[in-house]
Amino acid sequence: MARFRNNKRKRDAVVRPIAKKPSGGGVDHVTGDKIPKSFVFSRGKLPGPLKQLQMDLRKLMLPFTALKLKEKKRNNLKDYLNVAGPMGVTHFLILSKTESASYLKVARTPQGPTLTFKICDYSLALDVAQSQLRPRCPQELFKNPPLIVLSGFGTGDQHLKLTTIMFQNIFPSIDINTVKLSSCQRIVLLNYNKETKLIDFRHYSIRLQPVGVSRRLRKFVQNHQAPDLRTLQDVSDFVTRAGYGSESEADDEAATVSLASDLGRANQASSKSAVKLQEIGPRMTLQLMKVEEGLCAGGVIFNEHGPVEEAKKQANQEENGEEDNNANQEENSEEDNDED
Amino acid sequence: MSAEEAAASSPKKRKSRTTRGVKGKKKAKVFSRTEGQGKKAKKIDGRMKKLFRKRARDYNSDEDDDNEGNENLSLNSERTVEAESDEEAEEKELESGSEDEGDEMETGVMKFVEGCRAFSLAFNKITKKSVSEDLLGPVLSGHKKLLAEKLAEEEADHKVKADAKKEKNSLREKGHVKPANFLDSHEKFLISVATKGVVKLFNGVNKAQNAQKGLNPSRTKDAKALAKRRKAAFLSELHKKPTQDAESSKGANSAATKKEDGPGWAPLRDSYMLTSSKLKNWDKMQDTNAADDMGETPQFSSSDED
Repeated sequence: MARFRNNKRKRDAVVRPIAKKPSGGGVDHVTGDKIPKSFVFSRGKLPGPLKQLQMDLRKLMLPFTALKLKEKKRNNLKDYLNVAGPMGVTHFLILSKTESASYLKVARTPQGPTLTFKICDYSLALDVAQSQLRPRCPQELFKNPPLIVLSGFGTGDQHLKLTTIMFQNIFPSIDINTVKLSSCQRIVLLNYNKETKLIDFRHYSIRLQPVGVSRRLRKFVQNHQAPDLRTLQDVSDFVTRAGYGSESEADDEAATVSLASDLGRANQASSKSAVKLQEIGPRMTLQLMKVEEGLCAGGVIFNEHGPVEEAKKQANQEENGEEDNNANQEENSEEDNDED
Repeated sequence: MSAEEAAASSPKKRKSRTTRGVKGKKKAKVFSRTEGQGKKAKKIDGRMKKLFRKRARDYNSDEDDDNEGNENLSLNSERTVEAESDEEAEEKELESGSEDEGDEMETGVMKFVEGCRAFSLAFNKITKKSVSEDLLGPVLSGHKKLLAEKLAEEEADHKVKADAKKEKNSLREKGHVKPANFLDSHEKFLISVATKGVVKLFNGVNKAQNAQKGLNPSRTKDAKALAKRRKAAFLSELHKKPTQDAESSKGANSAATKKEDGPGWAPLRDSYMLTSSKLKNWDKMQDTNAADDMGETPQFSSSDED
């Protein structure tokens, strides 16, 4: 480390052209914003269900995440950080497990801050799919980043504001003028409950259905199959006879939109469409425990358990986080060089 | 001691080889011989061995039976003497340990010969024994209790293990909840919230994109109109608080409008180099500037990305 520091200038001159590449590639073609990328990994050994949850989270973070990130036992945070710099990874989602509970840390690299959530309970995507009669999960779903909806965070607390910003920046931003509706297929919802201080984390798929069209016709348009006309007297019956609609199909005024452009075969731009959400896990109930300044280190901005413990923890972390801080500093200097 | 022990044990040994009738005489004989002729016996040893081997070669299994009467007797007596003298020599060397083994072996052989009847008796007794019919079977009947105990123990062990496994599993699965098959009110509420968000976004998109719809950016007239609209949007953005503009990097409008604004490249802007206070007096504080250089640069680069 010391050697590197002494030779900083020299080394920079060599590194610059190589490191510049990814920063150019990590930019959205249309909006020009930097695309946030993420790593989802674990610290320590996870039990089976949590490993599955980790995989689900990776899938949720697609496409700008490492789906097949290989973890080794000896990998520490620094290793990930070292990789993150050149890869343009901006966020870490770190799962960990203790005797009492499992935790999710959401960190911004390389400098932090870090939000530590306690996972009060969770359901895997598999569980959610099993609970549904017709789970829907086409492969194209994960080709585009999800939208994010944050609700109930606007109480003005500092840590909530920080949480909002953190989660807003974890997915690529949308430019209303240029966005294609076909790319909006998934949505991540974070709902903050003031009373319980719990955050509900949900992941839905978005489906649009034309309004005012019988189910039969809709199916006919969507599927490429000839309908079964055996029971009908005349072809006109197929169109005129109303199919039995269930209660859920009753048109909800609040959930209808008029589209800017055609979407698929069924949804015309001119007609109204209903927004249907179907859950595709994972499902989590989170509780914000701690906010740290650095990347899993540094001063504690917010602690759920109050300030007394906070001071103690801070002292501990300053001892432990010494190394990480150094790593951060190095990382920072590197980033600076990339950009200038 | 060892010699005495050997002497004491010797009669037993002889018993095994000799017939019962000559017990007493030979006992005395051997005793005297062993005491007196310790060394002599050794001398004889080689010769005797040869002799015995020769005789053994001469004897065939068939002839054995014929000569048994006289010769065996004499032979046996001599053999025992020889063997004992050998043993004595050994015992003097090895003292106690080996001697006992030899003893036991000899006695064992003797008992086998003698105990045939006992064995048969015992065997008969066992075979005649009537065994109660039991699941565990006749052979294990003696261990019935033990077996049952073992089974119970195993079961208990199994139970403990199962409990441990269960506990471990529960720890693994802690917090893992399987969702219900139906949508409860909370889930419905969440879905409605999410739906509201989606509807808001889609409507926003619709509004923004419908406005541009009639205009083709490739045509100069439409392009002008588009630019005008964006400029208006930008100006309205400008009239807001300047801090907000900087903060809302996520805001879609700001990103689009900034491009219209001035030259994209930072050095071409009017405000270039003027915004940072540190660079104002660049000629005066050269040293500090060099140090601050690293920290300052990213700001520019970030602004030129917009």
